[in-house]
Amino acid sequence: MIFLAAAGLVMLLSGLASYYTTQQISAFAVANLVAGPLALVAAGVVQTRRVSGFSGALSRRVLLRQTALVGVVAAAVVVSNVLASGWTASLDLTADRQYTLADQTLGVCAQIGKLPEARRPSLLFFEDALIAKEVRLRIAGYEAHCPIETRTLREAQAPPEARPILSEFETTVIACLGSRCEAVGYPSEGNITNALLRLTRASTPVVYFMLGHGEVNLSSEADHGFSALAGALRDEGMDVRGILGPAREEVPADADVLIVAAPERDLLPDEIESIDAWLEAGGRMLALLEPETASNLVELLGRWGFDLPPGVVADERVSPLLVDATPLSLLLNQFNGWHPITRKLSHRHMVLLPSARPVFAARKPMPDDRLEALLFTHKTAWLERDPAAARSGHGAGPDPAGPRGVPLPLAAAGRYPREHGEARIVVIGDADFASNRLLHTLYNPDLLLNSVLWLAEDEEQIALRPKGPTPDQDPLTIQQTLAYFYFLAFALPEALLLLGIHAWYRQRG
Amino acid sequence: MRRRIAALFMKELRSLFASPIAYVVLTAFVSLSAVYFFQHLISYNQLLFAFQSEGLATTDFDQGTVPLQINTLNELFMPFAGDLHLFLLAVIPLITMRVFAEERATGTDELLLTTPLRTWELALAKHATTYLFVMLLLGVSAIYPAVIISKSQLGMAHLGALYLGQLAYGVAIAAIGLACSSLTRSQVVAAIVAYAVPFILLDFAWLDPVLTESAAGILSGAAIQPHLDNFARGVLEFRHAVYFGGLTVLGFTVSVASLELVRAR
Repeated sequence: MIFLAAAGLVMLLSGLASYYTTQQISAFAVANLVAGPLALVAAGVVQTRRVSGFSGALSRRVLLRQTALVGVVAAAVVVSNVLASGWTASLDLTADRQYTLADQTLGVCAQIGKLPEARRPSLLFFEDALIAKEVRLRIAGYEAHCPIETRTLREAQAPPEARPILSEFETTVIACLGSRCEAVGYPSEGNITNALLRLTRASTPVVYFMLGHGEVNLSSEADHGFSALAGALRDEGMDVRGILGPAREEVPADADVLIVAAPERDLLPDEIESIDAWLEAGGRMLALLEPETASNLVELLGRWGFDLPPGVVADERVSPLLVDATPLSLLLNQFNGWHPITRKLSHRHMVLLPSARPVFAARKPMPDDRLEALLFTHKTAWLERDPAAARSGHGAGPDPAGPRGVPLPLAAAGRYPREHGEARIVVIGDADFASNRLLHTLYNPDLLLNSVLWLAEDEEQIALRPKGPTPDQDPLTIQQTLAYFYFLAFALPEALLLLGIHAWYRQRG
Repeated sequence: MRRRIAALFMKELRSLFASPIAYVVLTAFVSLSAVYFFQHLISYNQLLFAFQSEGLATTDFDQGTVPLQINTLNELFMPFAGDLHLFLLAVIPLITMRVFAEERATGTDELLLTTPLRTWELALAKHATTYLFVMLLLGVSAIYPAVIISKSQLGMAHLGALYLGQLAYGVAIAAIGLACSSLTRSQVVAAIVAYAVPFILLDFAWLDPVLTESAAGILSGAAIQPHLDNFARGVLEFRHAVYFGGLTVLGFTVSVASLELVRAR
């Protein structure tokens, strides 16, 4: 009987080991996983018949009572597990709060909750996908907080509307609304939320980029390119178009927002005039201006109340986040807490501007106009009048006679009620912070995308976006790591072993 | 009653640390966990260096950028949790196998069972000693990762969650091991069964092809692995704590029942 039990156990463990190592149910595994439990059951039956030592009534009663006790406790354990399985209380202790839904996601979920059932999207989660285990917790967060249907299924069970996507991409999550489905790329919270946002957006704001004067390159995927910016706007459900330039005489009628990003050359007088007229008619513009940009755009913005003195802002506090940081790279956490664009950004949130010029909300062109600064430097910052010299490390430094201890504004927004509608303008004294290299750094995307959403009057979507996990580098040197390693991985166990030898020696004595 | 349990607990503790096996197990566990943590840390840093260095990344990713899936969770915490889980499974049965079986083999259990101590008090003292040893194993092995993680600011709370999960798991398999030890007089049989039960409970995904979806779901709820993963991901969930707590209570109950049966014979 003992041999039968041992053989059954060995067969069962061999079958399991072959499955765990290969993750396949081979013929070997099947044979062992069937024969092993059968042998164990047979041994158990034989053993039950041979139970001895319980011949007396008292001991039989004890046997019955203890068997019942174990049965009751086992049943209680099962019931408590079943009850607990429906309770999703959890505590996210990850450094980046990776499994806590971000402000933007909760906002999107709240808006979905206001939609009728038929217009609510659903999430298809494929549990047999390669990285399904990593995503399961995130999907559970959507299940708990978002009024959408989440379906966990295998790829073979995918509904017909999702099959074309599965035949084209390897994906873990698909977002669907009726027959319209979208593959979520890497299933990060940001990507899942953006897919839900695109499916549920009632309208699609049209964003035009002005081109033709040396502005940012929207198609370049290099570090200094801006393809990520165009992608981020599309992810927010916007229609991004790049037109205008010298050939255009008027801003297109369907433009919701016009973005002028770091033009290197002056705009044509006709273009300046047409933008001015468009703004007067209630147009919306975002201007991203580099410190060296000498463009007549500065004059246009001056007419709308913005003062953009030439120069670059420097700060004694050098940002630790850039490898090539200089006093010009600004790590900022002073925001206007009242303006819709920056209301959700507090001193705990930071943006990184690699070099910026000051932007003063200087005067109101009309009494009802309202201009506000959005983002400020620390009090330790100063203005370098010669950007080229400052970049080469030969800046004049803080002017002892000049004003110090005053934060300088680096972004401002204005709203201008006019006869044909309200014009809105946002000016940010830097463009590089939105480049591919830095767009997804800290809260840079939130400053930029929230500005565009405010301009497009889509203020409900203004939020702080989910952040991906930070690829932290262990800041200890290899020597420090090794020193700790020697002490804690060798010296400590060595001491424990010596204690063990001492215990053995005493026991022997 | 409390004094009786405390006296027995102290006796068990002295007997555990009077034998060299506790020190050998402790040494092996602490060394192995430190070496494996060090290896994961070094390979994570090398991976980051490869991606962050121009010209070194040879995959589909842009040079100088780190893919989202390269992070401390995937490269450090998850593999380290997998290692700890295996090391615990390897060493705990070595400790639990002797606790009850040795007493039965040498006949000293009869002496214990004739004392005024109740069986549950006996079982509680022995279980508590073993749980304390599991805590000691994990506590000492946590020193090296905790020092590195706190110096590097890579997420102490996350490491805490990982170790809490391992503690819940360690205590549960210790309870299973003690239950096995209480059912036999052979330490070898106790150890083999204590290895086999957690191994069988580890994952039931292999049964999925022959089960309906709901049956597979129920079995998945009974498996250890799905309950262990989230701790390593840095998330504490009430239902997983209930699962490991349930296994521990069940193991304890089997030990008590088994002692009662021995006493009844």
